[in-house]
Amino acid sequence: MSVETTDVGMPAPSAPADRGRRRGPWPILRRAAMSLLGPAPVSIGLALVLGGVVIALAGADPITAYRVMGEGALTGPGLVNTFQRAVPLVGMALALAVAFRAGVFNLGGEGQMVLGGLAGTVVALFVPGPGLLVMLLAFAAAVLAGGLWGALSAVLETRLAVPILISSLLLSYPARYFSSYLVRFPLKEKGSSLVATEPVPEAVRIPSLLSESSPLGAAIARALGPENILVRLTSTLDWSLVVVALLIVAVLVFNRRTPAGFEAGITGLNPHFARYAGVRTDRLKVSTMFVSGGIAGLVGIMLVLGSQIRLVDGALIATNYAWTGLLVALLAGSRPLRVAVAGAFFAAIIVGGEAMQRSAGVSAQISQLIQAIVIVLIAIRVQVTWRRRAKSTVREQSDDLGRV
Amino acid sequence: MDEGPGGLRGSPPGPFPVRIAAHEEGDRVAELELRGITKRFPGVLANDQIDISVAKGEIHALMGENGAGKSTLMSILYGLYQPDAGEIWLRGERRRFSSPIEAIDAGLGMVFQAFKLFPSLTVAENVIYREEVTRRGLLDHREANRRVTEIADRYGLAVDPTARVERVPVGVLQRVEILKALYRDAQVLILDEPTAVLTPQEAERLFTILRALADDGRTIIFITHKLKEVMAISDRVTILRDGRAVASLTTRETTAAEITRHMTGRDVELRAWPVTRPAGAPVLTCEGLSATGDDGRVVLDSVDLTVRAGEIVGIAGVAGNGQTELAEVIAGLRTAAGGVVTIAGTEVSRAGVAARRKAGLAYIPEDRHGVGTAPTADATDNLSLGHHRSGPLVRRGVLQRGQMVERARELIARFQIKIAGPGTMVGTLSGGNLQKIVVAREMAYHAPLLIAEQPTRGVDIGAIEFVHQQIAQYRDGGGAVLLISAELSEILNLAQRILVMFEGRVVAELDAATATESELGLFMAGGGTGISAVTTVDGTESEHAR
Amino acid sequence: MFSVELLDSALFASVFRALIPILLAAIGGLICERAGVFNIGLEGLMLSGAFAAVAGSYFSGSAYAGVLSGVVAGVAVSSVLAYGAVTRKGDPIVLAVALNLFAVGITAFLLVAVWDVRGVFQDPRIVGLKTMPIPALSQLPWLGSVLFNLTLVGYVALLVVPVVQLVLFRTAVGLRLRGVGERPLAASSLGVQPGRYQYGAILASGALCGLAGAQLSLGNVVQFAENMTSGRGWIAVVAVMLARAHPVGVLGAALLFGFAEAIGFRLQGNGLPSQLTDAAPYVVTLVALVVARRQFARASTSVAT
Repeated sequence: MSVETTDVGMPAPSAPADRGRRRGPWPILRRAAMSLLGPAPVSIGLALVLGGVVIALAGADPITAYRVMGEGALTGPGLVNTFQRAVPLVGMALALAVAFRAGVFNLGGEGQMVLGGLAGTVVALFVPGPGLLVMLLAFAAAVLAGGLWGALSAVLETRLAVPILISSLLLSYPARYFSSYLVRFPLKEKGSSLVATEPVPEAVRIPSLLSESSPLGAAIARALGPENILVRLTSTLDWSLVVVALLIVAVLVFNRRTPAGFEAGITGLNPHFARYAGVRTDRLKVSTMFVSGGIAGLVGIMLVLGSQIRLVDGALIATNYAWTGLLVALLAGSRPLRVAVAGAFFAAIIVGGEAMQRSAGVSAQISQLIQAIVIVLIAIRVQVTWRRRAKSTVREQSDDLGRV
Repeated sequence: MDEGPGGLRGSPPGPFPVRIAAHEEGDRVAELELRGITKRFPGVLANDQIDISVAKGEIHALMGENGAGKSTLMSILYGLYQPDAGEIWLRGERRRFSSPIEAIDAGLGMVFQAFKLFPSLTVAENVIYREEVTRRGLLDHREANRRVTEIADRYGLAVDPTARVERVPVGVLQRVEILKALYRDAQVLILDEPTAVLTPQEAERLFTILRALADDGRTIIFITHKLKEVMAISDRVTILRDGRAVASLTTRETTAAEITRHMTGRDVELRAWPVTRPAGAPVLTCEGLSATGDDGRVVLDSVDLTVRAGEIVGIAGVAGNGQTELAEVIAGLRTAAGGVVTIAGTEVSRAGVAARRKAGLAYIPEDRHGVGTAPTADATDNLSLGHHRSGPLVRRGVLQRGQMVERARELIARFQIKIAGPGTMVGTLSGGNLQKIVVAREMAYHAPLLIAEQPTRGVDIGAIEFVHQQIAQYRDGGGAVLLISAELSEILNLAQRILVMFEGRVVAELDAATATESELGLFMAGGGTGISAVTTVDGTESEHAR
Repeated sequence: MFSVELLDSALFASVFRALIPILLAAIGGLICERAGVFNIGLEGLMLSGAFAAVAGSYFSGSAYAGVLSGVVAGVAVSSVLAYGAVTRKGDPIVLAVALNLFAVGITAFLLVAVWDVRGVFQDPRIVGLKTMPIPALSQLPWLGSVLFNLTLVGYVALLVVPVVQLVLFRTAVGLRLRGVGERPLAASSLGVQPGRYQYGAILASGALCGLAGAQLSLGNVVQFAENMTSGRGWIAVVAVMLARAHPVGVLGAALLFGFAEAIGFRLQGNGLPSQLTDAAPYVVTLVALVVARRQFARASTSVAT
């Protein structure tokens, strides 16, 4: 992840000595090789082995199952599907990573996403106006709803000492049930068998990157053939991909290049130090939770306006993006580019798991199993932690006894 | 309550019979003998072939500066570390302690500098922990209290066995620690810097207790870096330097000068840093400052103080009398219940930390690990935080990472910080170097006001000199310094005026040029309370009653 | 007003139905809290227990064998938490969150693998826990028919409260455990190994959560449904916080949530949409926590003045 540690655009006054000795590509390659032996790849390998054992116990051949999984996730329509899943997954992971980096453990991504989806859908359904404008309004409403729900948790902590960890999780339930109630009763489409709202107007939906009906899309499709992977990707994926990519860049810049991002990072490492240096940590918590919940809400509405077209009862939760996203953020150590990579990887596992279910008869739940095992192993192996502080016990020990 | 004889039962401990030197060397097996103890840590040889012999009933001082290897040696003796080489002999028997419990069972007791007590448990529960008194499977609190009181009375360790430890003053906590050891029938008692948290008078009382214990046939090992204490209490003294035992002397037959020479190979007396010019205008003024602690108790009680440009004002006091809270309230980390704070002409009583720093505050906090740094962040980040709000580290709202590294490099060079580079995590640094990170960052503000809280605690002698020099230069450059320290010598060497705090109030103001340690000690123990007129330096009156 | 009494004892019955799993899990969480481990894995432990209890009962034909396998499953999953958090000094919060998701995954996976069922598994071969009315006492009006007409697990749950209270505050083991939780280094300096007590606490919470799960899937209903704990483990976590880790307080907190769920259930019968009443326990939990924290804050400031 060299991009994150390089001073983008800086004239680099004098190459830091401790980073020096950059001769040729070898150190980079060596570092790449070393990172393959790092805790994350090893844990992933081990998790796949354990997953294989479980598959074998369920009566299937693990080798075949994994082959099906790989093919299902990385070839043809499966690859398209993987990308499609990766977009919201990375979005949710990013939402949580923003919070984790600042030392805030947001467990309420689910509720924030649901409320965002709900608020955005209401705007999309009932606000008249040109499609793009309404879409942006829906986005804004979603960010606001998810963000305020997140910020509420933070206020409960800063004002009333109720931990964010607990309140954010508990607040998810009323958000879920409230949304479910609205979709079942006041907002339900009359005369439909679906428990869902009416579909949002065509004009408000997020368009695909390159529709096959557009002149350019049609031309490319003719040139490459409709089965071409690029054609499939551009016609299936919608502009949410671009939004999430922009979000990654924004978070990256925020983390590295803004005073506020610097403060958030240090607060995650040692909040007492940050407060002592003049950071308003309480305000930071509230704004962090607003941003975190806001991104989650945005992901929610993008799912509705993109692939789902209408708000279906329980559909946002059924995706499990909030919880998988949490695992992704942990695996990535809350760093934006790693979130993208880890998110794509976990999306592939999900899609591959579904392929496995179709042809090998193994439950698709295997993917969640493997993902959870990866995090358990990493937490055991390298003591990954959402707060990047030094362990206080270690400090106590060294202070009392280790003093020479 | 703290003072007075040890209770109704039994006879008070003193006066003691004429002390017979308990160690007629040679004709008896040593109570405790360490032979060739060696311990290596990555990059440091903490203990190098240390030999020490202690006779039964002896008070043996273990002396040395910070970093000389005292704590490591005692941790080895207590089973917390395993030596790389060397032997421990107890009463003529070779012993090996792989855990503290084995050491305890062998009759060793340790009183750590940082007390190892359970705040929510009672004194008696702390004492009996893991050696519980039970009846039919249940704890017998009454019997436990009785036994604790009995031991306490025998040695004049006045405590209330039913009091919760979190509600007990520091001086009493130490007695609880001693009780823990005695309850386990420790024959050899090790005390690590026991006077650090005591007033000189309380220390005197501790010595009385220790003498009583020695007369009872127990052996005391007393770790300290204070020469005066060695001369006052010990029978023999072993001096450690750079991990080696450089001398073992009989106290009666030696002199302070000789010990000093062994300790450092040079004059250990820290220099004083006298003022060169008179103080200027007030930079910090506090009027009627009050605050409550985390548990709701009053920790600051209408404190008034002024620090002028070009002067160092020292705050003396036993730990826990409001000094930490005073610094926190001035820095804006703790909300004041009342009072006015002005920094360099700006009233900041209700302002946040950032506003106070902007008004002209720099602050070296007591806890460099927990507050003064982020140990898992690199030196660049640690040296930049706080300076990152304005140029040159920020330009048009964009953080200048290159500038941050550059500036960190400069500060590392200027403050002679031993670190691989600006990209190194600071949590790996030694105490002295970590402290220099904090000092470097705070000095770099060139702020009119500096609060320095325990600026040299737990750092080596070289770093102490360096930090003192920096603080003195800061003052000579026109800075106002509020120096809070538990080391009276530090305050006497650096400060021009000394305020003594007791139970959240400033109980005395003294001129550093004429103040003595015993005078300070009296005020630190609350001896100055009840006197209406606080003595002032530049005031005409100087009648402080005793 | 037809038969107020009948309605009320029915209400109490559903209060206890809701209360017992939460109480058992919360006592498990309390033991961990006292040992200095913040265990937010109760939800996953309970879910594992619920599944294993159904499986055990299904294959052995005995409800008690089912309960036993629920306990074994709870202990097994908690041993991963104990190893990771104590031996390897991993972050217990990350571990517990991952284990919660693991439990959801593995139970749903096994549901398909063993019975080829998705969602809810019901089968006549699952033997449920019978209530065991205590003669005479269960004939007492009002609470009698509820309090003395519980399953074995229910009685265990109510007994666990005084037992844990006694062990924690009146025995040497309890004293050591509390010490470990408060100052592990002080404990180890006296020869008490904090890790052992923390292991014990986490495994005990696994066993108690296993019991809680068994009560849920063999007592309250006789079936297993994917994610059937639906946040009860989290409510248990809050109960520990609310009660500040006192067993009797935890009982009080569990009662509060039991009432919230039962009253929600009854309102639902009166025509309120279930989506709104289902949210009741979580909202009540949160409100209780807010109120308790405020009360606590006020109490501590009033000491000052």
